[in-house]
Amino acid sequence: MIGNDVIDLSLAKIESNWQRRGFLEKQFTANEQQLILAATNSFSLVWRLWSMKEAAYKVFTQKNEMCFFAPKKFDCLLISNKEGMVLYKDRKFYTSSIVTQHYIFTLASYEKLIKPYSKFVMPQVIDIMIKIKLEDVTRFSALEIEQKKSKNGAPFYYYKDILLTRSCSISHHGNYGVFSLLYA
Amino acid sequence: MTRKELITTLQKIIKPYAQNQEAFKNISEETDFINDLKINSANLVDVILDVEDEFGIEIDNESMEKMLSVKSAIDIIETKLAET
Repeated sequence: MIGNDVIDLSLAKIESNWQRRGFLEKQFTANEQQLILAATNSFSLVWRLWSMKEAAYKVFTQKNEMCFFAPKKFDCLLISNKEGMVLYKDRKFYTSSIVTQHYIFTLASYEKLIKPYSKFVMPQVIDIMIKIKLEDVTRFSALEIEQKKSKNGAPFYYYKDILLTRSCSISHHGNYGVFSLLYA
Repeated sequence: MTRKELITTLQKIIKPYAQNQEAFKNISEETDFINDLKINSANLVDVILDVEDEFGIEIDNESMEKMLSVKSAIDIIETKLAET
């Protein structure tokens, strides 16, 4: 299972005010809050940690059919500028993040050494680009590949009754769209 | 405050975060914040903080976890208001 998240930082700046009273306290553990406040670029770290939580949540909810809002329970550990870990109850997620001035992208997975296919595309064309990629891989026509959603919205791609994606995660925010695939 | 009044106040709070205006216009108790209104998950906390300010209540973590629809939000606000 994989989950991803992308954040357009220029939009995040407009949409959210991380310095708002209660914003950090409600969503971040005491340890995370300390890291954020001590960081040279607190803004960037807020959104890296948030994307780690969101990506891990998307891994978890792919098979567990329930929705909830409990970002504080997804406890983030930073291993390096790129690698991280998220703990939730008895689950452990490995994360890999790309942090730039313009966007942050995180991929989370239960397994450490997983190599999904991820691609950045325009947000409007994510679905068709996934189908084209699956056509390349499976030789089934993109026009006959269909997206079906699980109860809580996780996407799966099928050709007729054949499942083509073991795991698929889609994110878009502002000018950025991205999909990650594990083939079935 | 009646349930209807609570929904009206909640609607005012949600407005700036709702990205699906059509769903927002047809808001009902069954409306889901993320799936229907397309509220960015990073803005859910803003909805919760605004609700706290508006009603003078505190939404604990356990309640916050369930605040994903108009119905659950109203249930939680009613419960918290009754406690104060």
